[in-house]
Amino acid sequence: MTSSNMTCEAFDTALPDYLEGTLDDSRRASAERHLSECVRCASLLRDIENISKEAAAMPDLAPSRDLWQGIEARIAAPVIPFAARPERKRRFAPAWMGVAAAALIVSTAGITYMLAAHSLRLTPGSAVAQATSIKNEPRTNTGTDSGVTPGSTTPAPVDVAVPGTQPGATSRVVIGDAPTRQRGIPARLASQSTADREHSDLVYGKEIQMLQNIVSQRRAQLDSSTVAIIERNLQIIDAAIAQSRAALARDPASHMLDQQLTHALDKKVELLRTAAMLPAST
Amino acid sequence: MAAASNLAHVAMGDSTDVALAAGGDRQAFERLYQTHANRVFSLCARMSGSRTQGEELTQDVFVRTWEKLPQFRGESAFSTWLHRLAVNVVLNARKSEGKQASRMDEGDVDDERWDQAARAPMYVERMDLAQAISGLPAGARKVFVLHDVEGYKHEEIAEMMGITSGGSKAQLHRARLLLREALER
Repeated sequence: MTSSNMTCEAFDTALPDYLEGTLDDSRRASAERHLSECVRCASLLRDIENISKEAAAMPDLAPSRDLWQGIEARIAAPVIPFAARPERKRRFAPAWMGVAAAALIVSTAGITYMLAAHSLRLTPGSAVAQATSIKNEPRTNTGTDSGVTPGSTTPAPVDVAVPGTQPGATSRVVIGDAPTRQRGIPARLASQSTADREHSDLVYGKEIQMLQNIVSQRRAQLDSSTVAIIERNLQIIDAAIAQSRAALARDPASHMLDQQLTHALDKKVELLRTAAMLPAST
Repeated sequence: MAAASNLAHVAMGDSTDVALAAGGDRQAFERLYQTHANRVFSLCARMSGSRTQGEELTQDVFVRTWEKLPQFRGESAFSTWLHRLAVNVVLNARKSEGKQASRMDEGDVDDERWDQAARAPMYVERMDLAQAISGLPAGARKVFVLHDVEGYKHEEIAEMMGITSGGSKAQLHRARLLLREALER
């Protein structure tokens, strides 16, 4: 239909702007004249206005089941009493960071165990092999930086490649009878007894089991490639845990090995918690 | 007057529970969930076109809210902040569903899907608006829900969905016409 210099086709084109109120005055007047004479376009406008009004007034819906239990299970972050971690500030890490972190655990656990064992052979009576940064730390050793100098009571630092850093970047570690340095290591761990270790194993075990149950339940909701990455990382971390436990069994007094084990368990909890909280289909 | 009083009560209750929940109080967070669950679920179900998916998304929204709460600065009402977060969770979930979803996000209306949904046997009787909305193509449905149901402006929708304001207007108009067509049957 044509009326008032505006066709129905032209009105259809102008309709979105008419509804938004963004037509200029002359086109709006033309559209209103057309509406007053055209039943088809008046009906179209009325129907669309009614749809918008009805949509704006739609009542809230209610879920068909209790969703809180599922939410609570996913946000439940069991407290590990001896770990002071800024848990709520953590962010989701990309998968490659998990791989890098796990690789770091494996490499450091292996290297430190080998170095610790080597050190103990060189310096009988030395119970603690402490890996730490030696920046600004005085040392009496004047040997090369490539290893332990024979006859020296203070071992030389060793440069260890660190995954995830620039090529050539190294971290310097020193082992043996260096003065005890507790930087970054909670004092509670330094004095951890076998009973403490058993207790912490129990706490970690419970938390890991609970998180593994949640992840198992959510497995179908997650993307298969994500699940594969999570499982691969868990295998790497589990290997690091087993390695640390074996080393600790041979040298139960080693604080460093104890710390390595705690760190690996922390990584497992962190990875499982991240997996438990991932949105569906990721 | 009573409604305003209720709103004020909810807002005051929210602020206390938000502070407690941000500090890790799960009971306070559960109260926030109970207060806002239906509204969030409505948004998720309508935007996704599925009650089942809406329930999963609602859980995702509240898990995300729990994580993000420490960052909530109270610059807007908690309900506004939560609602915006819910929209983002839904949109991001849709994006991860693959090429089809992303194509529709960009404004490509899937007529075939619309035809299948709108002409399915369950719609032989005159369908109601909620059913008709669930049958809309994804891009048009999201824009319609955000604009006509939730009251967002085209500029806000464009920013959230990564489309132009004009694209948002076009999708809205398309949705309204498709809804009219479905409701007339």
